[in-house]
Amino acid sequence: MAALALLGLAFVVFVAVAYGREPAVAGPEVMLPAIPAAAPDAVPQVTQAVSGTYSRRLSNPNGVSRFMAVLREIEARARPADDARVVARLGTRTPEGTTNVVLALSRVDRSGRLWIKARLPVLPNNTVGWIPRDALGGYNAVNTHLVVSTRKFTATLYRYGKQIFSAPVGVGQSRWPTPAGRYYIRNKLTRYSSPVYGPLAFGTSARSAVLTDWPAGGFVGIHGTNQPGLIPGRISHGCIRLRNADILRLARLMPPGTPLTIF
Amino acid sequence: MSEPITLDQVDSDGAIRETMDAVADDSRAGFLKKSMLATGGIVGGAAILGAMASPAHAQTANDVSILNFALTLEYLEAEFYTEAVNMGALRGEVLAFARVVGAHERAHVSFLRKALGSAAVGKPSFNFQGTTENQAKFKATAQVLEDTGVMAYAGQAPLIDTDAVLAAALSVHSVEARHAAWIRHINGAPPAPTAFDKPKTKDQILAAVAGTQFITGAPAMTAAGGSPSFTG
Repeated sequence: MAALALLGLAFVVFVAVAYGREPAVAGPEVMLPAIPAAAPDAVPQVTQAVSGTYSRRLSNPNGVSRFMAVLREIEARARPADDARVVARLGTRTPEGTTNVVLALSRVDRSGRLWIKARLPVLPNNTVGWIPRDALGGYNAVNTHLVVSTRKFTATLYRYGKQIFSAPVGVGQSRWPTPAGRYYIRNKLTRYSSPVYGPLAFGTSARSAVLTDWPAGGFVGIHGTNQPGLIPGRISHGCIRLRNADILRLARLMPPGTPLTIF
Repeated sequence: MSEPITLDQVDSDGAIRETMDAVADDSRAGFLKKSMLATGGIVGGAAILGAMASPAHAQTANDVSILNFALTLEYLEAEFYTEAVNMGALRGEVLAFARVVGAHERAHVSFLRKALGSAAVGKPSFNFQGTTENQAKFKATAQVLEDTGVMAYAGQAPLIDTDAVLAAALSVHSVEARHAAWIRHINGAPPAPTAFDKPKTKDQILAAVAGTQFITGAPAMTAAGGSPSFTG
């Protein structure tokens, strides 16, 4: 129990440190009545130095996170510069045929050219890279965050940091572990032929580090099951399995693009 | 001044045309049905304006079409300012302008949606292509959008059938003109460059909005059929 408590504390501290806030910007110079914003945005206004420029944080798992479509085949780089090392090559479609999206983490303006630091659906897991802004579509916002514990066998969904869903899960067997790290939900699939995945499956940006020769690259899914009696436990090839009623309930609450933390 | 929006380009992927079809094609049976559904909504929305709008006037499909056209423009403007403020690239009087005008545009959206009720067109997806993330680009774009909004309302006002709707449209039109003058002043452009403004038609405005390529399709993130290839 103490270990679990420490893990929980570490997670909270991590989030608090990683998503601090910058000082508020100057207010309006004209006197007008305060009008409530129609689209509240809880993104912390963090800045951090990046080679003499400033980076704007775009996602906060406890508030608003943003994802963006990949509009053209593009190379993600280690730094926001055309001559920086390539960390991944991105296409416009997922193996399932949906729009390929990346989770936008921060943005930097380098001499008028915008770059987006994004979480990427590539191995090694947890890879991030810089992508030219003009290779990406508009910002799409979500306010949810899914956290999967491979130790407690739970999936918990938060909205603006408040728990709104929890269910037991099955995760990867020890030889095919569900990879720990930070990811996002790439897509939602329904009406497919295989009963193994239950009625609904979410694709994620996480990939098995072991089953690299799995069809389509071994992406980890979050889906239903035809063997609900095995949940909870270490039962899968790396995917996260929920009972069918739970995956359907989760699907009503969690939009694609939602950040995913596995620990 | 840097990088004004190009208004004479074509819609890149047809997404804006898809959105605008619902606005422009008021001859379709479905749209007429929507206009019937909207009648009560317009009456209620107009009543919000109190003395400016009389709910006693008859409603028409034409007015519904015009209000949906206005709503689409207001969606665009409201999202533009909201995103610009949230992106954190604006400073000083430009930030103050964006905050105030953004609140106005969101109020316009709210009003038009309420007025149209179930006949209101949905909010499209947007890609502002960095213009909300750079102060110079924002200033140039805001001027284009506000000037466009003024010309759009001016072009539609004479076509409105109902006095209550006309009063509502004029109340928004003058505010859009104030916005245009404000951002023009910020940009060092003449706030009131001519004695008479030339209105633009719906088609001209739609072409201009399409040229910005700001209205896009939403990412396709759901799929049906086939078989997942996840690790299981």
